[in-house]
Amino acid sequence: MDNFEKYIKENKLLFDEHKPDKAKLWQHIDIELNATSKEKIVPFWRSPMIKIAATIIILIGVFSLTTIFTASNESSNFANQELSDIDTYYKGLVSFQVELVKNNAKLSLEDKEEFLSFMKELDKEHLLLKEEMTANLNNEYILEAIVQNYKKRIELIENLLEQIKDSKKSDDNEGYIL
Amino acid sequence: MKTNILYTHKDLIEKSKSGDRNSQYKLYELYIDAMYNVSMRILGVREDAEDIIQDSFVDAFKNLTSFRYESTFGSWLKRIVINKSINFLKLKKIPVTPLEQHEYYISEEIDEPVKTMDIPKIKKGIAQLPDGYKQIINLYLIEGYDHIEISEILEISSSTSKSQYHRAKKKLIQIINTLE
Repeated sequence: MDNFEKYIKENKLLFDEHKPDKAKLWQHIDIELNATSKEKIVPFWRSPMIKIAATIIILIGVFSLTTIFTASNESSNFANQELSDIDTYYKGLVSFQVELVKNNAKLSLEDKEEFLSFMKELDKEHLLLKEEMTANLNNEYILEAIVQNYKKRIELIENLLEQIKDSKKSDDNEGYIL
Repeated sequence: MKTNILYTHKDLIEKSKSGDRNSQYKLYELYIDAMYNVSMRILGVREDAEDIIQDSFVDAFKNLTSFRYESTFGSWLKRIVINKSINFLKLKKIPVTPLEQHEYYISEEIDEPVKTMDIPKIKKGIAQLPDGYKQIINLYLIEGYDHIEISEILEISSSTSKSQYHRAKKKLIQIINTLE
């Protein structure tokens, strides 16, 4: 490097002779960076503290609102989902067993009718509970009562089936004893 | 020591990365003067330099996540400004390198010495240089890039950069000496 080059490099800063219009340039940059929002942008360097304070307040507001909203939404969704899961599970179980009873030739007509009338009563109760449920979604007692209703039906059916099996068993045993 | 320099303004840069406009403005304030002058030296027209500077800062803030402290923020930003400025000249078909091919140019000894070392005179001399010579003088002498970096910026070979620089310097000294 010769003296001429050295001289220039040592005095590099003297070549920065132009003064930009900082505010005007930043305004354009700010607008570009905000290009997605349509609102008129107030140049914030004029009131940085106000802008920061406003931003924090808005952020807190939005945050708390969204958390409250999503939280409540989530729990009701969750309860709904759980309920319908339980409902379909028991419904399937009950209807399957009712069919079994209906088709069973070994039961007397009386027994069948008695069983089906019990079932009808429980059906009515179930409908009432379901109505209550839609009016008052998050009531745990109603949910419990519905499940209880289903359990009663299943118990009923199971008892009936047990009876049938018992009589069957004795018949079978007889048949196999030589 | 070197890593300390690389992490200059790390706090501001990290906040700017997450879109904090206040930090972005602080960075802008720190670098705007230097960057504006870099662009003015290449373009020479106030309005053009302003457009390039706005564009460069917007791009820099939008792509700040790609800045990983491999260089200082200042040199990263400066490279954006220089690339945009050079591209602007290319789009306007203003030559960024001398028109003649100098692939086989053998650098001669510069026998003509500078009569007086004077910054205002040197500035005047650079302003009077033909377009093609101006950029290489700027990039090498004032911006402080080496010939490998210049070859990347101007898309020429580094040996071309060297030979063109010597030619440009010779021309500059001739102009300066006639100014007296």
